[in-house]
Amino acid sequence: MSSVTGQVAYAGAPVAPKRANVFKRIFNHRNDYLYVLPALLVMLIVIAYPVYYTIELSFFKTPPNLQMKDKIFVGLDNYWAILKSDSFREVTINTAIWTVASTFFAFLLGLGAALSLHREFAGRGVMRAVLLIPYVVSAVAASYVWKWLYHSDFGVIGALAVQLGLSDKPINFLDNVHTVLPSLIVVNIWKEFSFAMIMLMAGLQTVPEQLLRAAQVDGANAWQRFWHVTFPHLKGVSMVTVLLLMVANFNSFIIPWIMTGGGPAGASDIWITQIYTIAFGRQRYGVASAYAVILFIVMMTLGYFYVKALTKGDESRAG
Amino acid sequence: MTSIPASIPAEAVRPTATRSIDWWRWGGRVFLVFLLIFTVLPMAWMLLTSIKTQFAALQYPPQWWPAEPTLQNYTRLLDPSGSIGKEFLLYFWNSFYVSLATTILGVAVAVPAAYAFSRFRFPGRTFLFFAVLLRNMFPAVVFLVPLFLLMRWLGLVNTHGSLILTYLTFGLPLSIWLLKGFFDNIPIQLEQAARIDGATRFQAFLLIVMPLSSPGIIATSIFSFIGAWNEYVYAYTFLSKQETMTLPVGIQRFFTEFATDWPGLMAATFMMSVPVVVLFLVLQKYFVRALTEGAVKH
Repeated sequence: MSSVTGQVAYAGAPVAPKRANVFKRIFNHRNDYLYVLPALLVMLIVIAYPVYYTIELSFFKTPPNLQMKDKIFVGLDNYWAILKSDSFREVTINTAIWTVASTFFAFLLGLGAALSLHREFAGRGVMRAVLLIPYVVSAVAASYVWKWLYHSDFGVIGALAVQLGLSDKPINFLDNVHTVLPSLIVVNIWKEFSFAMIMLMAGLQTVPEQLLRAAQVDGANAWQRFWHVTFPHLKGVSMVTVLLLMVANFNSFIIPWIMTGGGPAGASDIWITQIYTIAFGRQRYGVASAYAVILFIVMMTLGYFYVKALTKGDESRAG
Repeated sequence: MTSIPASIPAEAVRPTATRSIDWWRWGGRVFLVFLLIFTVLPMAWMLLTSIKTQFAALQYPPQWWPAEPTLQNYTRLLDPSGSIGKEFLLYFWNSFYVSLATTILGVAVAVPAAYAFSRFRFPGRTFLFFAVLLRNMFPAVVFLVPLFLLMRWLGLVNTHGSLILTYLTFGLPLSIWLLKGFFDNIPIQLEQAARIDGATRFQAFLLIVMPLSSPGIIATSIFSFIGAWNEYVYAYTFLSKQETMTLPVGIQRFFTEFATDWPGLMAATFMMSVPVVVLFLVLQKYFVRALTEGAVKH
């Protein structure tokens, strides 16, 4: 990756002398904190406290009426209950398929779109805008629209399949344990592939045009130019895009919740919908919190890589 | 630029090179057409269904083109004297109000924080900044139980305050990250010149930095507005009273009560998408920039 970053914005920013006493430095910068204070305060109430409380609740058996003073300490029982439950394996497999398949195909389609749209042609701007619309509209709207497209009796996809001779009767996409998860993944890909497209289009602009031309002069074909010149330049942005997609997919709730509610027979249940059902359906907040903590740990691992991918660029910038 | 191989294998040099470029270009075009169909068809079918009657929609094989197109689904939604219209317009207003309040408050809180992260070197800056960013990684559901309890304790359940407060925090990390990127690109010399001319730091910030960073502020605002407009999970959990509901939660109520009124639902989804799509199309440049800011270093 090129480390040329253009302007170094804070070249002249006041820099505290290195090795000074921490408290002295904090004191010297006391006014700076005022700028960050409102943001920190809001975040502290709505983020730090809930994180702490979730971890605490995960060790308790909680009453369904939310009178939390009646909660009973049960140690790690909630965790064992989850890990030993029959549904855990199935839900985890669903979550993995959902996350990996959605991310993979969204990235692939996004990459294809970005490469095809990179060259200037008439209607390119319009096309980019149209492709981005699914990303902008609410997942709730997308879910209802696709639920209608997949409708078992009057859905247009089933009808098209019959017209084209692919099936002799309308297909029941969402009420079949074998087709439900792939069907939902298609919706998810529809919704988010253009995010990958936009990220990669921005990434493509950092590929030096001269290098591509030089490679062409040297006789490299299109694939070789892509693989040896373009792709290495896209590594950083691809990394961030894949991570962000994975996080988003791991956390997605709306599409499975509205379209199937996790059904039929849990075939489209993923971690998030499962947690929601445990908490607000069965009112078992303790177990739901323990589940959330497990999820949290997985996210922190992904988060570690996310920050690492981001700081790689930031270091060169802050230089 | 070390990752470019020093030489390209000699066998790559062949006379057909120019022809293979055309194949790639054509492949790209075919692929784009496929993607366009994949993207547009669901939206087109939504629109076609929304101008059908319930009777026409529930036919097999489907009417590919509505035999008697009607706007009755839309007039019903927008008629404030009817019961459905009254509800729909109320949800619409609630969504608008919550999204706008979130956006304004969010920008007001994010601007100073982003400025500090961009300009100052206070101890703990990096830590705080990444703590703010890490928020992006946490799923909404993780926060749902404790936030629900917190809102109950604060007496905010079934109020828009609960949503505004929640959306504010969830939008903040991204807003701060975006704005910091924009502030980083404004030369600090401009402020220094203003300081030398006698401006206070705050004046320099207000009169020099703020006007220059208006594209960043617009980008951040669109993002936080669209995010709040589309949010479902918290609204679904915090709001149970009909008069406080926002659109994503509200629309499922009145079209799915008995048998789903698909044309009505499609019309409502369309109306719900109009504000964000218009906002996006008008301010596309800023939206795209906001999306990619930070991930791509130029």
